[in-house]
Amino acid sequence: MKKNESIIFKRFIQVTGLLSVVLVAALLIGLSIGSSGGGMAAVWKGFLKTEPSDPVLMTILWKIRLPRVLLAALVGGALSLGGLVFQALLRNPLAEPYILGISGGSAIGAIIGILLGLSQFPGITLTSFGGSLATLLLIVGISTGQSILRKNALLLSGVMVNAFCSAVIMFLVSMTQDTRLHNIIFWLMGDLSLGSLQQTAILTVFLVPCFIVIFMYANTMNLMLMGKEMAQSMGVHIRRANLILLVTTSLMVSVCVSQCGLIGFVGLVIPHLFRLLLGPDHRVLLPACILGGGAYMVLCDLVARALPQQGELPAGVITALVGAPLFVYLLKRSNP
Amino acid sequence: MIPILSVMASFLMLTSVQAQQHQVRDLLGRDMAVPVNPSRVVALAPNITEIVYALGQAHRLVGATTYSDYPQAAAALPKVGSYVHLDLERVVALNPDLCLAIKDGNPISAVSRLESFNIPVYAVDPRNIKSVMDTIFRIGNLLQADNQAELLVSNMRSRIRAVVERVAQTDHKPKVFFQIGVAPIVSVGTNTFIHELIEMAGAQNLAAGKVVYPRFSMEQVLGMLPDVIIVTSMAREAAFERIRKDWYQWQDLPAVQHERVFVQDSNLFDRPSPRLVDALEILARLVHPEVFED
Repeated sequence: MKKNESIIFKRFIQVTGLLSVVLVAALLIGLSIGSSGGGMAAVWKGFLKTEPSDPVLMTILWKIRLPRVLLAALVGGALSLGGLVFQALLRNPLAEPYILGISGGSAIGAIIGILLGLSQFPGITLTSFGGSLATLLLIVGISTGQSILRKNALLLSGVMVNAFCSAVIMFLVSMTQDTRLHNIIFWLMGDLSLGSLQQTAILTVFLVPCFIVIFMYANTMNLMLMGKEMAQSMGVHIRRANLILLVTTSLMVSVCVSQCGLIGFVGLVIPHLFRLLLGPDHRVLLPACILGGGAYMVLCDLVARALPQQGELPAGVITALVGAPLFVYLLKRSNP
Repeated sequence: MIPILSVMASFLMLTSVQAQQHQVRDLLGRDMAVPVNPSRVVALAPNITEIVYALGQAHRLVGATTYSDYPQAAAALPKVGSYVHLDLERVVALNPDLCLAIKDGNPISAVSRLESFNIPVYAVDPRNIKSVMDTIFRIGNLLQADNQAELLVSNMRSRIRAVVERVAQTDHKPKVFFQIGVAPIVSVGTNTFIHELIEMAGAQNLAAGKVVYPRFSMEQVLGMLPDVIIVTSMAREAAFERIRKDWYQWQDLPAVQHERVFVQDSNLFDRPSPRLVDALEILARLVHPEVFED
């Protein structure tokens, strides 16, 4: 057992180190490319201060691109982690906050918050959290007690909750002529374009404690994957662990949604990729998902803003274009 | 302490002389310092671009939004995203010394981000003919074009007066259904400048009421028996024909019987700019062709 622990620790260090480098590289690429051009060379000179810096470029770098890439990294990390936790707790490889409708629920909460004229923080964040908890309860309520069909029941109830949430969102959007909802279509597809340092700071304050809480349960999640009885015999307090993990994850998701809208499938792509590469141990998967998910989101957002000639795409379009086909592939593979 | 203060004071004086700024209050009542002679202006909405051009101050413009296509020269300006979805990076890259924003359209979050970069954002709120004129005066004042603003507005006023005098020759007030959205059918309520134009043109707006942009079913429109139907669309000729045809299947409508279903360029009717007067003249001719026969 001791030896095993030290092997895991070594892998943890390796994976964390390697993926940190990947994330930093993604952040640097994200910083060097943007709609105003500027070019890599100028950006690097600005960084390294080899020549007197151009104040305009500095504002663009530090006040527009930096908050945006940091926001993308945080959101990507949180959503990937959310996917990983849902997949472990619900023991369903296709579980993901967006697919289960949790993101949709928090979007409804956020829109209600916007319509009530609440402030972005804490008002909208709270209503959004309320929305995600409500959908979580709904999904768990619908899908329990159907042990044989459990896997499909969960996905189906997720699909239904998601459809219902979309309908409620469209209802709210159509019923109101509020100019505050002008940007809503963009926001619904995931929009990182208005990321500010303040926003990033708020997200950090919320997300980092969530990361820590979830990390403390890494080994518990390993045990829970082995089955209820097994986990209980190993001393896991299943109900409590479930409750804490689900609520923490919902909080993470709703903070992300209230700041950046609906970004789907990140929590599917990243955990699957790393499970394939690193095996099933959550003590290694958790940091991998946070760092790798962050890097993935930064790159998706980069594609979203670099691809169109005019303006930009919502980042959620890119993640869905990559993620939805993967979902179908995984579904087909798991149900031969 | 005193030497430090005096150094700071002289530094402040130096920068204020360099930048030559003055305090102004925008149309939303927000105070700010703007350059006395702004030379790098970004217009954050198409109607603002039109106003700046109409004031003859286009040489100050360094950027505009995606759909700023009037006058034609404006299309060549560097673009900074659409007015509801501004690309902040492009705005900042143009190094503007003044941005001109509209209250209804530019998101407040984007405006406050720009202000956090020390770019003054002067907001205007043109929502009817009077406030378009106010906006023209204010922007004229900001861009050292008071005389041009005076000229432009007095020209608008005399053209409006000419239209109003013309339509006063008749007591007949045709019922107009003004359609700004095709699917669903959307019209304009009382609190819009299109309503104002309809009234000035000597007609009545069938959709008048508290709701700003009311929706209608086809049934409701048929029941109101409009004498004139005006549809504004961004679409081009082919689509214009299709929209007209759609209405012509209802042969009982007075507007159809008298062939008075018209499709107009939406840019003319949905931008609170000096061209609202063009829109008024067109509208008056469409609803009262009899008094314009000459």
